[in-house]
Amino acid sequence: MSTEAEEKIKAQEKYREMSIAEFFAKNKELAGFSNPTRALYQTIRELVENSLDATDTHNILPEIRISLKELEPATEDKPAKYEVAVEDNGIGVPPNEIANAFGKVLYSSKYVIRQTRGMYGLGIKAAILYSQMTTGQPVFIVSSMDSSENIYYRKLLIDIKKNEPIIIEEGQLIKKNNWHGTKVYLTLEGDWTRAKPKVIEYIKRIALISPYAEIIFETPDNEIFYFPRVTKKIPKPPSEAKPHPHGIDIEQLKSMISFTKTKTLLEFMTEEFQSIGEVTAKKFLESIGLDPNMNPKSLIEKGNSKLLQTLSAGLRTYKGFRPPRSEYLSPIGEELIEVGLKRLFNPEWVKAITRQAKAYEGHPFIVEAGIAYGGNIIPSEEPVLLRYANKIPLLYEEREDVSYKVVSSINWKIYNIEEPMPLVVLVHVASTKIPYKGVGKESLSEVSELESEIKNAVQEIARSLRLYISKKNSEHILREKIVTISKYIPEIARSLSILSIHPDKWGSNGKNIDKDLIEKLIKIVSKSVEFPKIDGKEEDPEKVVRSVIANVKLEQ
Amino acid sequence: MSHIDKIDIAARKKVAEIFYKKFMELNEEISKEKPPKLEIPMRTFANTEFDISKGILKLGIKKIERNFLNMNESKKFMQTLLMASIIYQALVENEYPTIRDLYYRGKHTILYKDLNGRLKEENTWEEQSESDASIRDVEVMLGLLREDMLILSKEKGKVVGNMRIRSGNDVIDLSKLGHGAYAIESTPDLIEFLDYDAEMVLVVEKDAVFQQLHRAGFWQKYKALLVTGAGQPDRATRRFVRRLHDELKLPVYILTDSDPYGWYIYSVFKVGSIQLSYESERLATPKAKFLGVSMSDIFGYGTKKAYLSEEERRNFIIKAKDLDIKRAKELTRYSWFKSKLWKREIDMFMDKKAKLEIEAMASKGLKFLAFQYIPEKIQTNDWIE
Repeated sequence: MSTEAEEKIKAQEKYREMSIAEFFAKNKELAGFSNPTRALYQTIRELVENSLDATDTHNILPEIRISLKELEPATEDKPAKYEVAVEDNGIGVPPNEIANAFGKVLYSSKYVIRQTRGMYGLGIKAAILYSQMTTGQPVFIVSSMDSSENIYYRKLLIDIKKNEPIIIEEGQLIKKNNWHGTKVYLTLEGDWTRAKPKVIEYIKRIALISPYAEIIFETPDNEIFYFPRVTKKIPKPPSEAKPHPHGIDIEQLKSMISFTKTKTLLEFMTEEFQSIGEVTAKKFLESIGLDPNMNPKSLIEKGNSKLLQTLSAGLRTYKGFRPPRSEYLSPIGEELIEVGLKRLFNPEWVKAITRQAKAYEGHPFIVEAGIAYGGNIIPSEEPVLLRYANKIPLLYEEREDVSYKVVSSINWKIYNIEEPMPLVVLVHVASTKIPYKGVGKESLSEVSELESEIKNAVQEIARSLRLYISKKNSEHILREKIVTISKYIPEIARSLSILSIHPDKWGSNGKNIDKDLIEKLIKIVSKSVEFPKIDGKEEDPEKVVRSVIANVKLEQ
Repeated sequence: MSHIDKIDIAARKKVAEIFYKKFMELNEEISKEKPPKLEIPMRTFANTEFDISKGILKLGIKKIERNFLNMNESKKFMQTLLMASIIYQALVENEYPTIRDLYYRGKHTILYKDLNGRLKEENTWEEQSESDASIRDVEVMLGLLREDMLILSKEKGKVVGNMRIRSGNDVIDLSKLGHGAYAIESTPDLIEFLDYDAEMVLVVEKDAVFQQLHRAGFWQKYKALLVTGAGQPDRATRRFVRRLHDELKLPVYILTDSDPYGWYIYSVFKVGSIQLSYESERLATPKAKFLGVSMSDIFGYGTKKAYLSEEERRNFIIKAKDLDIKRAKELTRYSWFKSKLWKREIDMFMDKKAKLEIEAMASKGLKFLAFQYIPEKIQTNDWIE
């Protein structure tokens, strides 16, 4: 969900006094639940992303099991009914939080900026609501924290009018092993046949970007997709950050003021925002003409909206703040991107890059890109583009995406890449606020800072690729040269052996090929060729020469 | 071979030694792991020179290196060595291969593996033109003619006259061959001149005219050695004529059609061909004289009366074609066609755009050709050099 959608939701709540859950239920397309196909895909996605957030973000190597079972086949007027079960080995949910975490929309304990896959777990509640609306079945949650001696389970529905969980069944079991994590069972209507390609593509892409995870997916067709863990390296989890003043809008500002425990505006500035010290805060407040000692709460009182607007505008435009800090971001890292691309495409060449952090409108972001070339990649007219935002694969609206704009405008010929090209381009954007284009969160806007970063990243790798290809080409030319010359070695040695017998010594035994001549010719040809170093390695010319004339019968 | 004659054996031994010496050098270079190369004089027009003092076309001093390690030359390098080895083998084993034989003996399939490890095949050569080129390479590289290397080609030239020669172990009297003639063998250097009674050599372009003059008894009456190359002369005929001139000190007259093609045949006897200029040193006869038929024979010039009447000209003259004109223009580029008399000849041709076959002179009467036209022209020095 984008902030835009959230605001819409909040606005609706305000004006029509409709519960947020009710609004959700009536506008399910906003959360990606527009039809049975999309709903199935979206449900699996929300559960998997929740599971990843519960594991890798907490330095746990994820083990995620997804199972999809058909409970009732489709009829003429009803789609088929499925049970989705997703289990992880994550941190688990505290027992007293389970009901609210899964049964109350917009339930969140604190307001912080952090790079997470989803936002405030909204998506999972949408999935539960969709399940409830299409099948009437409760969601079943089993969870245990590492420290807990019990395993807790809850069966619950959401009271749509009140936006509150209705607990149908709850209980706990004594934990006999050291399992921790969460398993969620959902029953919903869906269309597996139609959703299948996207779901599988999604799982593959998740596996690509999280090569440190073990992922098992059982389909209703009794197929099993198994992605073993290929590395134990986990990216540094994102830490929570205070917001940067440039990235705060008036609604968020109001919300922050209402939550804050600070007593003065000066204190509010230094406590609630990142990188603002007393000196900067004083200078800033002075520049917009606000009293550092005033109570921040007074700004949200009626009649003070002018002052609030002054503060809001000042926060967004004041030049004296330090740039947003990027250590709160968690890029995947070059190594993991390369490992992931290698695993999925077995390419001839792969390279990834993590760019330095940049910022747009006060939001730090990091662009990462990877290119895989050749090998098992099926050549096509344009590169295969894999888009990720905060480690989530984006599968829809490709042509709307800023990455598509960048990648499709690159003239690959100047990088020695000919059509059709066996090329995969991966772009990952990590940010505390991803600039999604629409409510569907499937494509990124053409923010100029972002666009130029993506371009720089892709072009930087493309330049390495060009170097590789040109070395490869020159290596290939040299190899062909060796073949062209070496194939005549036996014939030349044979002819010269005959010519080196003096007429007086001409005998029946004298016409054997001189093996020394062959060896000398092999040496001469080998010495004449020097292969370029590719990735620090170079081919041994003599090996190539010998392979050309290997198994060639030398005797006449 | 039931028996091998002495000249033959001596020639083989000498040539084989040249081969052995040259290729042992290459062998030693390879032993030192030096890049294998062959030095071959260039066989192109650019490297063809007209040696004014000798009056022949010669190969210039430009040489090319044929490097095994140059991928554009590797195959030719192999082919040259292959050809050399076959010729060498034939020399040592007392064989007389034809150029066709050499093509077949050397033609076989080379097996190798490509970059994908697949077994590939390639023939040492496909066309005879490739093996022929290799023969020429061996010739220029070693400074030997194929005749020296005892390579046979189809016999084309013929000779009759008062002369005895030894060919192999046989003595042949060139005056006792009836209506036939002695076919000039592929290895004219192995012919031994025993004795002769002749004062000149007459080479006629056309075999039919040769036969007519032979039957008319021309060579007996005028003490001539009568030779034909039957059109474009082969190397053996040219070498044979050269030897007659050099060793017997006989003047050589050449009788061809009156057209640029006939002139070129004369030119080949005289200075050599451009394609094969490397052989000229031994094949060309720079002192050969163009006896006719000349333009002035047809039309007269100055005080000289034409041999043909107005009516005969109307009947016998053929209109020159564009190709003839083009050839004539080409010939004017060569320095030996730039003499005063040749210029006059070619200018007349360009002017009249007329050509004449030598048969026309014969149809005026064989006796006219044999006993009037030819002797008269020789006696009055009416020839062009």
